[in-house]
Parts: sequence; structure tokens; C-alpha cells
Amino acid sequence: MTDSWAIEAVGLRKSFRDVQAVRGLDLQVVRGEVFGLLGPNGAGKTTTLEMLEGLVRPDSGEIRILGLDWRDRGSAIRTRIGVQFQSTELDDKVKVREALEMFGSFYPRARAPAELLRLLHLEDKAEAYQLRLSGGQRQRLALGLALVNDPELVFLDEPTTGLDPQARQGLWEIVRQLKSEGRTVLLTTHYMEEAEVLCDRVGIMDRGQILQLGTPRELIAGLQQPSIAEIEFVGSAPDVGPFAARLGKPIEAKGLVWAVPLADAKRDLQSLLICIEALNLPMQQLHVRRASLEDVFLQLTGRSLRD
Amino acid sequence: MNLRIFFAQLKMGLILYTRVPAAVFWIIAFPMVMLLGLGTVLGDSDTGGRKLVWVQSGSRSPVDAALTRALAERGTVVDSVSPTDGEARWKGGKLPALLEGSDGHYSLRVNSYLVGQAMQTEAALQEAFLVAQARAQGLADPARVPVVMSSPGGHRGGPYAAFLLPGLLGLNVLMIGVFSTGIVDVTLRAKGGYKRLATTPLPRFVYLGAQLAVRLIVVLIAAALLLLVGAVVFGIHNQGNYLNLALVQLLGAACFISLGYVLASFAQTPEVYSGIANLTFLPLMLLSGVYFSLDDAPNWLQRLADLLPLTPLLRVLRGIFNDGAGLPDEWSGIAIVAAWTAALFALASRRFKWV
Repeated sequence: MTDSWAIEAVGLRKSFRDVQAVRGLDLQVVRGEVFGLLGPNGAGKTTTLEMLEGLVRPDSGEIRILGLDWRDRGSAIRTRIGVQFQSTELDDKVKVREALEMFGSFYPRARAPAELLRLLHLEDKAEAYQLRLSGGQRQRLALGLALVNDPELVFLDEPTTGLDPQARQGLWEIVRQLKSEGRTVLLTTHYMEEAEVLCDRVGIMDRGQILQLGTPRELIAGLQQPSIAEIEFVGSAPDVGPFAARLGKPIEAKGLVWAVPLADAKRDLQSLLICIEALNLPMQQLHVRRASLEDVFLQLTGRSLRD
Repeated sequence: MNLRIFFAQLKMGLILYTRVPAAVFWIIAFPMVMLLGLGTVLGDSDTGGRKLVWVQSGSRSPVDAALTRALAERGTVVDSVSPTDGEARWKGGKLPALLEGSDGHYSLRVNSYLVGQAMQTEAALQEAFLVAQARAQGLADPARVPVVMSSPGGHRGGPYAAFLLPGLLGLNVLMIGVFSTGIVDVTLRAKGGYKRLATTPLPRFVYLGAQLAVRLIVVLIAAALLLLVGAVVFGIHNQGNYLNLALVQLLGAACFISLGYVLASFAQTPEVYSGIANLTFLPLMLLSGVYFSLDDAPNWLQRLADLLPLTPLLRVLRGIFNDGAGLPDEWSGIAIVAAWTAALFALASRRFKWV
């Protein structure tokens, strides 16, 4: 175990009654990187996060946070990490500034509320009750509470879930700033585009394990079929069966769009066009796009992320 | 460091308390409202101002005039009405009693719903009737058994409000424990608030200590305001030592705040908790003699009530407030409450889950 890891976890396991939530998870997060833990609901992301945050004790395995062990240096770790939860856990009638002051009082050194309010663009909400904030403002306040102690390592649990696109952009901006300040960020998400935009590295989780680890680019490049052709219909789509049989490939039919993974773009695209011609499909449009992390997940697990 | 966090939490807790109107009402205002309301309606220490509605048919007899005078001497004003008016008011349902007179014969109709109030009217009427009869025959007024009003401890007599006030002090600590502590605990755990706090260096005992301190301060404020209303409106004063009264009140608060945490440990959601809380609160309130004495209840029920923490707490509070008892005089009640507190505190500590 070296000190250059912000997080080092080896062989983590955790069961709740007869459910194995996490089964043998290894993870190293480098200091200064933004690391994304991806996976569908129930993949074990939250349990993993809670073990790393010291809230849940693993059944077995080793965890080091900033080189320290929860078992004997818990208090030292807590002063150096920041945690943002999904839900709002504050009293309804707490004002924004008061919440920042109160959480600041828990730490030996805390950032001034005014500074955090500016960072989070919440200056004009300083005296508003927590209850009266919009979803995006509440999420930003939760992030502010996680940053109140100037943490070296920040945990963000689905920071943009339920936010509109503009609010999401705002949060991404703040995460980028955290990285530029040299902090390490571990975030979970089930938005693939978010991971591609924000994360230096991602780990794809399913059924309590990390299936694959790498930069988004590496993961996509490592796919057997790095491009996707999408055939779009208008009105109604024909039966996909004969087409798939003729092409000899699995096809993902979603409503009016068929997605066909392409291993060799040139050759596969030719045979695709021949099949379309032969069956005289009433196709409206044909796109070819680069595969995304979404497709990585689909090909790794055979399931879509938002099932 | 911990002390600084403690005072920050204490200050925040008190501020938050004032921002929840329901909490302020039920804990601070409700006891005062009850004292003003029940103390006034049921306060019967002076007999002035009572009214007797009298329906007269046929001719007036000389006894009528004598009876009216004797009633007036006993503070009861006669309200003579016609038979139709009398019947209408009786049907209205608010009359406790209606006196019907005809040629020197009388009968009193008593409203079965309002027996308590009617009994006072009846007692005054019966006495006045004997006096009127004696006077009509030229005899001296009949003698009556002398009445000495006194509270059970024998120190000094007081109105119903003096019985009620210590009862409301006890009810207040029950409410702050069961409603104002347990529900906060359950809600915060269900929302993930404790989890969030657990990721910070805030020590658990500092947090819980501040929560306890906030409630003890609120209890003392509520008690002080209640005593003030009792003194100003009803002229009733603590006969004992204020420090003793405060100490017993704080012991009661510690007991029921522990109870709140114990009950909360059995509920996952606020909805479940409010069911558990009401099932605990109602029997305790009704069985422990907050509003009325349980002397007429079946013996087994009284014995059961004596084992619950609120009954001895009220006995001690009434002993101090009404009879000026010292703590040694009330040692048995204090011992029972202290035993409950120790047991509930131990159980609460055992079952309390931070995360």
C-alpha cells in the first residue's frame, strides 16, 4: 500500500442477510483524479461508497483512505474527506448559511460560508430555508456541505440525478473546478455521458463487482464493435426477425430505431446496406456513431444501464 | 473543541425549535391554554355568579319569595322564565338543571349530560329550600356541616387550577419526550441525516448531549411560563422550593426523553412512530391523573397506574407545588421515577443506532 493512492481497496465483500451486495471488489483511485463508479441500480455502488466512507464495515477486505485505515484513524480520515449524499438529510427549517456554518463547526478548520456560497452560486439563497430550495440548489448546498472542510477527497453519490440539463452543466463545472484545485473526486452515476465528460477513469460495476476499469476512451476502444449503426423508421418499424437472420448479427430494436454494432465498419456497413436493399425496408435514416460507455456496459453485461 | 461544537449545536437546536410552530404550540403554549381553559371552566372555588333557571306555573306561594332570597344569599341568581321559554332552553341542551315550581311544590330537572355542574346547583337549591321552609315557619336557619377547603397535603386550599397545574407540568415532559424527541430521531434516521453526520468528525455524544440540553431548556421555559400564568390568572403559587420543583421536572424530562428514544428505536418511519407514540401517550395521560384524580377507578387500575412513571411524577410535583413538600418527603415517588429513568436510559443507549 503506497501513499500515492487516495483510495485503495482490496477484496471488499459485504452481504446483507442473504444478499451479496459487494463480492470481492478491488479499487485504486489516484490522488487528483476524478474517478467514476458506473452501474445500474442495485449494482452495489452505494454499498461500496458507504464502505469507503466508513459508514459500513466490510465483511472482509482492506480499505485505505489517504493512506489511513478506518479502524484506527477514523477521526483523522473524517476531517480530510467530504461526502455528498443523494437525498437531502437536513432539517427543513435550516437556512443555507446556517447549514454551512453548522457543518463548518464540526471541523478544526472550515471554509468561510461566504466563499462557499459564491462557489455554489447560492449567494442570494443564503437566508432561505433548505426546504424552499429547488432541486439543483439543494444539490449544490449538499455539495457545499461536502466541501466545507476543504477536503482532499470528495465522494459524490449521483450528484446530478434528477437535475435539469442546465443544473447538471453547473454541477459539472464545479466538479471540474474541484479537480483543478487538486482534489480527488469519486463519483457514482448512471449517466454515461456524465462519466465520459467528467471522469479521468471509470469502473463499470455490476452485481457487486467491477467488470472493467480504465479511461472512457480505453474502454470504448477496447470494444469488439466500436461503432454502432442506427436504422431509423417513421410510423412503424417492420419485424426485426428476418433482418437479423439475414445479417447474422444481434440487433437491439428500440421502438423505431434498430441499433447494429459494427466490428469492421466498412465491411459490416456494406452487408447492412445489402440486407436493407434485399428486404426493401422502409428506412427513413441511417446513422453511424462511435460507441459510448453505454454500449460498453451493454456489451459487458448484456443489459442496458437503465433497465 | 467538543465544547465549541456542543454550544453551536445547542444554539442551532434552540433556533430550529422556534421555527416549528407546531412544536412551540404543543410544548410551550398548549399547557398554558389548558390551564386557562380548564382552570376557568372547571374552577368552582367561589360560588358567585351561578344561575338557576326557574319556571313558575300556577300562583306564587310565600315560600317562593323566601326561596329566592335564600338562593340569592348563597350566590345563586334566579332567572325566572315562562314555561315555553324554559322548555326551549332545556331543549337547547346547555342547561345543567331546570327548576319547576307550581303552587309551592318544586321539582328539579337535572341534565344527565351535565351532572357535575347540576350537582352544585342542586346542593345550593336544597340548602336554600331548607332555609326557606324554616323561615316560613318562623324557625331559625338550619345548621349546616362546616366545610374546610384544603388540598390533600393539608397545606392550603386551592382552586382546580392548583390541582391541574402540576399535572400539566408532568404532561409537558411526557409530550416533549414522546412527541418532540422520538419523532425527530426517527425522521433524521429515515432521511439519512445521522449517516451524513457520521461522515463528519462530530462526536455522537456531543450531538446527543446538545439534543438533550435543548429539550431541558425548553421544558424549563414552558414550566416557567405555566407558573407565571398560574400566579397571574389564578393566584396560585408554588408552595415548595423552586429548585426542588425544577429538579423533579428535569428528572421527569430525562425519563420521558429516554422513553422517546426507546420508542423511536422500534420504528423505521415517522408514520409507524406516530402510531407507537400515540399508543404510549394516551394511556399514560389518561391513567396518571393529569386532569382528574383516579380515586374512583377500579383498584387494579390504580395499582397499575402507580407503576407507570407519570403517576409518581405527578404525585411528587403536586406534593411540592401544592403542599410545599421537600424532596425527602417525596422520596418514594422520586425513587420510582429515577428507576424508570435509569432503565429507559440504559435501554435507549443500547438500542440507539447512529447509522
